[in-house]
Amino acid sequence: MRSELNEIQLIDRYLFRQLSTEDTQTFEASLMANGPLAERVEAQRITHRLVRLFARKEHLRRFEAIYQQLLQEPAFARQLKSTT
Amino acid sequence: MDHPITSLYRDSFPDFARLVRRMGGSLEQAKDSFHDALLIYLEKEKAGTLHLHSTPKAYLLGTARICWLQTLKNKPSMPLPDTLEQSPDQPESREMEENLLRSLLRTGKKCLHLLKAFYYDNSSMQDIATRFGFNGSRSATVQKYKCLEKLRNEIKTELCAAN
Repeated sequence: MRSELNEIQLIDRYLFRQLSTEDTQTFEASLMANGPLAERVEAQRITHRLVRLFARKEHLRRFEAIYQQLLQEPAFARQLKSTT
Repeated sequence: MDHPITSLYRDSFPDFARLVRRMGGSLEQAKDSFHDALLIYLEKEKAGTLHLHSTPKAYLLGTARICWLQTLKNKPSMPLPDTLEQSPDQPESREMEENLLRSLLRTGKKCLHLLKAFYYDNSSMQDIATRFGFNGSRSATVQKYKCLEKLRNEIKTELCAAN
């Protein structure tokens, strides 16, 4: 892999706490000395948060589809109506 | 045959909707909290941290009730794992994340699906290669990092433009 992708892999291992204590310390020292690297780490952290947000939204869409499907079942719809 | 989540939904939601109504809430609020609870249930199940002391239904009803009470206090009900939590000195608002995600959905939807398969669904590289049409797991791994790079760069650009 080209060096940029190797760095992304390293950042991933840092973010997911897969580096040894020693490697973590070395990496964090690089972060202190290298502003652009720190920015890339932060952007990668946000990327992972957005992937998770995307995945959760996909789940929520599926739950809504299940709800709409169940509303077509008379017994389910009747039970919901009786709650109002 | 029903998916287990559909059966659980059918069996549990009417009871929860009744509970929320009794406490003065609406059906829509009940549904939102119930969906948050389902999400927590599925994520814990996948992570192997779902410790049921009773039935799945009882767990779901209890969690949904907590989610609903939290929405009344406007607190987020689904914290992220520590490693991906935002750093306190760089707060990203929920709204900013929503805006960023909308932007990524326009330009990098395939990458979002690929990264979701890897990081969220924990699919194997071989499965991902088959599903996304890559030439083997090695190629899928490289593509995963390329996607991370692409989305990361777009996020940096969006954040720069916003500042």
